[in-house]
Order: sequence, then C-alpha cells, then structure tokens
Amino acid sequence: MYLKQSLIIAFTLSVISLGAWEMYWRTQGFYPTIDDNKELWATQRARAEKATSEDVLLMGSSRVLFDIQLDEWEKETGKRPIQLACVGSSPLPVFHDIIEKTGFTGTVLIGVTPGLFFSTTFPKAQPWEWPQSRVDYYYKRTYAQRLNHALSLPLQENFAFLSEDEGIDGLKLKELIGKIKVGERVPDPMPPFHEFGVIAKDRNLKMKEIAVTDTTYANSIKKVWMFFGKGAPPPDKGATMTFFLKDLEKFKARGGKVILVRCPSSGGLRMGENLGLPRSEFYDDLVQKAQVKSYHFEDYAQFKNLECPEWSHLSANDAQFFTSELVKIMLKDGALTNYKTN
Amino acid sequence: MLFNSLSFVIFLIVVLILYYVKLFSWTNKKRMLLFASYVFYGLWNPPLVVLLWISTMVDWTAGNKLAKEENKRIRKLWLLLSMSVNLGFLAFFKYGNFLLENFTALVNSVDIYYHPLKMDIILPMGISFYTFQTMSYTIDMYNKKNQPARTFLDFALYVTFFPQLVAGPIVRAGDLITQFYEEKKATVNQFIWGLFLLTIGLFQKVVLADTLLSKTSDTIFDSTNILNSWDAWTGTLAFSGQIFFDFAGYSTCAIGIALMLGIILPDNFKYPYASLGFSDFWKRWHITLSSWLKDYLYIPLGGNRYGVTRMYAALMVTMLLGGLWHGAAWTFVVWGGLHGTYLILERLQRKYIPFTINKWNGIFLAVLTFTCVNFTWVFFRAREFLTAKNMLSSMLFMNPDGEKLLQSFDIIKVFTLISLMFLSHWFMRNTSLKEVSLKTPPWFLGVVWAIMFLLIAIAQGSGEQFIYFQF
Repeated sequence: MYLKQSLIIAFTLSVISLGAWEMYWRTQGFYPTIDDNKELWATQRARAEKATSEDVLLMGSSRVLFDIQLDEWEKETGKRPIQLACVGSSPLPVFHDIIEKTGFTGTVLIGVTPGLFFSTTFPKAQPWEWPQSRVDYYYKRTYAQRLNHALSLPLQENFAFLSEDEGIDGLKLKELIGKIKVGERVPDPMPPFHEFGVIAKDRNLKMKEIAVTDTTYANSIKKVWMFFGKGAPPPDKGATMTFFLKDLEKFKARGGKVILVRCPSSGGLRMGENLGLPRSEFYDDLVQKAQVKSYHFEDYAQFKNLECPEWSHLSANDAQFFTSELVKIMLKDGALTNYKTN
Repeated sequence: MLFNSLSFVIFLIVVLILYYVKLFSWTNKKRMLLFASYVFYGLWNPPLVVLLWISTMVDWTAGNKLAKEENKRIRKLWLLLSMSVNLGFLAFFKYGNFLLENFTALVNSVDIYYHPLKMDIILPMGISFYTFQTMSYTIDMYNKKNQPARTFLDFALYVTFFPQLVAGPIVRAGDLITQFYEEKKATVNQFIWGLFLLTIGLFQKVVLADTLLSKTSDTIFDSTNILNSWDAWTGTLAFSGQIFFDFAGYSTCAIGIALMLGIILPDNFKYPYASLGFSDFWKRWHITLSSWLKDYLYIPLGGNRYGVTRMYAALMVTMLLGGLWHGAAWTFVVWGGLHGTYLILERLQRKYIPFTINKWNGIFLAVLTFTCVNFTWVFFRAREFLTAKNMLSSMLFMNPDGEKLLQSFDIIKVFTLISLMFLSHWFMRNTSLKEVSLKTPPWFLGVVWAIMFLLIAIAQGSGEQFIYFQF
C-alpha cells in the first residue's frame, strides 16, 4: 500500500484546488466577510451582561443594523453601543430577555419598523421566532460552540468562499446545488434575494456599495420587500403593545431608559407602510402610551429627504450622516449622555 | 465536541502531538487521553461529566467485587447495583418525560385529574452508548467471561475513550481495555489510513448527509400535509441515506481517529443497504448495538433454546426495546416492532418457503429488503403517528392529489444519490474498503481523497450535530 504517495497527492491537489476555488470567487466579485449568525449575536448579547447604566443597547430590525453606525455613535457620545438588532425581527423578544434575565439599567434604543414591531407575539411567527432563537441559543451555546466561532472568525476574515449567505449569493455547496433548476414542479414565488450588507465583528453593518450604484441590484431587493408586503398577515397592535408596555414599565421602574426611533424608509415601501400601518394609528399611539423619548425621521428636516436605495435601509454614507445627526439631536434633548473626554 | 468542527481539529492535533512526543510514559499518555476525553465531553456540558465519573466508579467497583466474590446472592446484588445506576441514568435523563407523559395519559384515562409540568431535563450526549458499554463490562464480569481491568486508569479510559464516547461503536471490554495494557503507536500506514477514514467519515456526514440529503428529508417530514407519492418516497429515501451517512460517517471517523492513535475499534457498518434479508441487515447495520442486544438481551431472554414461540417472543422483545433505546417515543417502539416482525416473517419463510439465494434473485432480494427498511424509517423519523400514517399512505400511492413540496431537481438528486449508494453497497457487500484500496492505484486514491476534502471544505458544514448523539 502506497499510502504516503496518496497522501502527498491528496494534500497537493487539495491546496491547489482550494486556492483555485478561492481565486475564482474573488474574480466573481466576492470578498471575505463575517457572517451575521447566532454566534456573532450571542457574543454581543454576552457583553450586555456586563453593561453598566452608561451603556446603550440597540434593538430592532435590519433598519437599526444598517442605519445606526457604531463608529459615528461612539464619536459623538464617547461610548460604543451594543448592537442587538436582528434582521426581519420584532425587537420585543430581545427586549423581554434583557428585562427578565439581566439587571441592565442603562438605555435601550428600539427601532420601530412598523411592519415588524406591531407584527405578532405568536412564538412560531417568523418575526418572533428568529430573534427568540438567538436568545435561546445564547443560553444554550456550549463551550465548544464558542470555541468554534472564535476559531472561525479569522478564517471568515480571510477566505471569500467561506460564507453562510443563502440564496443567489450563497457559496456553500448546499446553496450552489440549490441553484440548479430542472423545470418548476412547485412554484417558488420568492424573488431572488441579495445579501446587501457587510457586518463587522461588533455587528456594525454597512450597506454594500453595489446596492447604491447598481439599480438592477437595488430593484431586485425592492421586489423582495414587495413580496413580503403582499404576503404579510395583518398587524396585531393590541398584543404587541400590551407586551411591550408591560416590559417597559418594569424597565422604567428599575431606572432604565428607552428611546424609540423610526428609521427612514422611502418609495413604494414607505407608501405601503403609510397605508397599512398609518403613523397616527400605530407609531404615535405607541409613543403616547410609552411616554419615552422618541424620534421619527419625518419630524426632522435633515432626514426628510434621505433616500433608501432599496426603499428600506440607508446607504453607508447616509447611515453615517443619520447616526451622527440623530445622536446630536438626542444629546441635545437629554436622551443620551455625552461621555466624551477631551 | 463534534468531529465536524474547527475546535475538534485543534483538539485532535494537540492530542496527537502529546501522544507522539517522547516526553511521557505510556501511563502518562493514557492519563492525557483520559483527560482529553473529559475535555472532549465537558466542552459540551461540563457538569454532565459527573455522570461519566459515577458510571465509571460504580462499574469499576462492581467489576472488582464480582472478580473476587463467589457468593451468588452478593454477586447478583453487585450486578443489580450496576444495572440500577446505569439504567437509572437512562430512565431519568432519557425516559423521564416519556414515562411521565404515559403515566399522565394512563391516569387521565381512568378520570383521575393529574397534569404535572414537563420536567426540564437535558439529555446527556451519548448516554445510551456509554451506559451500554459499561454495563457490558459488569455483565461479562458477572458471567465470568471477562478479566477485571488491570488498573482504574485502563477502565476509566475504556468508558471514556473520546473517539467512540458519544456515538459508538459500543466496544466490549475485552476488545478495548486489553489494548491499553501495552504502549500503542500507529504505524505510518495505520496513521495515514486513519486520516483517510476520518476524511471519508466527514465526507459522509458533511457532504452526503448534511448537504445533499438533510434538507429534503426535513422538508418532507416537517410537513403536516398529505403529500404526493413522489415527495413521500423522496423524503423517505433521503432520510434513509441521511441516517446511514450520518451514523456510518461518525463510526468511520471514530475508527479512523482511534487508528491514528494505534487503537483498533470494531466495524459498525458493513454496507447494510445491500442486505439479503433482515437478519443480514442487522449483521451489517449498527453491528455493535445489535451484537450487544443479542448477547445481553436476546440470549438471556431465552434465545432459541426454549422452542419457536419463546424465540419469536424474545426476538420481538429485543427489537421493541432496541427501538426504545433509540428514542423515548412510541414511534421508535413501532420501528423496532416492524423490524421484529420482519425478522419473524423471515424465519417463517426460511422454514416454510425456503429458496437458495443466487446472483439473479440476490439483487431483487436486496431491493426488497431495502424497500421494507425504508418503510420502517418512516416511523423512526416521523415525530408523530399522524405524520407516519400520512407518509405511508402517500408511499403506497393512496394520495394521488397529495401536495407537491419538492422541486424536480431535488427528486432527481435524491433518487440518483440513493441509487448510487445502493449499488455501491451491492458491489462492496462481500469486500471491504481496505481490500478495494489495496487494488487501487495510489494516484487515484490521492485524487479521490482530494476531491472529498475539497467538497468538505466547500460544504462548510456549520457543525451540525450527528443524529445519533440524541440516542
């Protein structure tokens, strides 16, 4: 048996083929990125355990992830917030977890994306189940899983082909095979979806430049919002408000502060939101009942004309501007404290 | 810790370095292996290592007492202690809620109002494997078929040896403890072959089970609707492939890793999907469990020593309990019951309609066996009887208007892969990987190895748990 020869051949071919695979995807425009997975979320959730009354936790959906830039926030306040927002999610499960399982008494900024905030409290509904699964993972993760994630980060930062992206941008074997179609036995109404953000280790997310410069790319994302908009069940304002206000009272009672923020949206999505979840009936009612500081982008001249390239999130540059200006407003308003030392 | 994870790669490299550097004596190397095994297990849930310690202590003590004690009554008591502790762990951690649910259903059926809360119990990973392994030691000591382990270290390592700790193979003391008595070191060929087996095992798990089959099987079995026949068959075939590649993949990894340390573990699978009948199937599927059940359950229940009726009863009880070993649900019991029924029917056929198996009817028999096995997998995978009933009716073409869930490509992919799997089992059924590799040119083996490695890397398995860890 000439196993040594086989091993040498296998090793050489593996290195060459893996190198070629990496090069190929780089020539296709892919580059190394970190995955916004449950492990990454859990590392930030763990930071919240040690957060003090000076800290700020960010919660909400993808709009908080894209629109609130941690560098700008830190520049303005001297403190880097902890990013706990999750894409396509209601903020309520994460807020509930912080209220029930920690003694945090600092500030929580909650992004109010009407279609998600007022969506549901049903545990099996996607806007609830997604963030709840991350919360559950945080408590159940093993030491081995933590170690695996720590070891995977340097690899994710250096290899483009290592990516957990799904759909048309997916590079995993499962995703590549999933793209092969032979006829259409079962109709798949979901339009193809691009991953249009790049996340850092501290979960600071920025929109990819291609979503700003390539209209076709941006339009493909708009189609996805339209798809979700058409299929969305009616909001459950009563249950969501009751659930949130109960947690809010508990948080206020122990000295915590909440800030509600309505991030910009534009185009057809904003029209849909205004029709389905009118501001006066949903957002304003929430603010009135919550009795906390609140900021709606429509109320500020500098935000009124911000355009979201794909209707729902700000470009990286606009997000920096939005964060910087929003923080200045909040500082002036006394909603936030400036910890900068000159 | 999972074999298909980055932390395990680092863990294995560290263990191999410490094992092969000339710093330690053999005793210290064994201590290192034992410590590494506890780390391997503890990185999942540290407090549950205590269960391993208790199991080790109890069976070490019981084994030593049984080696010296001649009084039959006292010997029985020591055996009873070992069985109570090990089966007690299983009863509490694995079957606690199942027992409670059934007790509740029973008392409710006679109009007694009793609704206890479900207990929040963590199922310790691999508990069914290591308890069976330690029990086999004590039972063999009781039956005077075994010598006691020479040292506590040897015994503790036998219970905890990390390659096979959480999902087997379930190794008998005589096959493993004795290997620890003298210094073991893999030859270069053994080491490389072990690495090759580890690659094959990971390829089976990460590429074939998780990447190519699991999604199809999950889509079908997670559906609550009545499905089209093509979808039901595709889902079932996908699961039959998934469970084989997942479990055989784990066993192959375990055998490969142990071989890299110079330790030989027994085969656990021998191309089971090309079995000619069900007794052949159980000689090829999860071999170490079926031989455990045969030696420690079927034979003590009477085996074939007390007539045909008693033999069939023993066979059925063994298979029913074997089903329950896999999971705390009645669906697993039905799975075991179906296999028991198949085995009884096969024995009846041999008695009343005997025929010779040749190469012409052999493949037909293998297809028939594989098809019947697929029907049993429905109960194994379905979490509820209603799902199983709906699946079976669809597989029997009783729901022509059933819902379509899968794309054409999924169906083609699964049928192609399962056909290739079946054919490879058929052509390999009388040989072994080792024999085939000896006839294969080294360059070809190297190319195959590289392709498997590349596909594992591209598949990027995100550390999905092996199915058998839950058993």
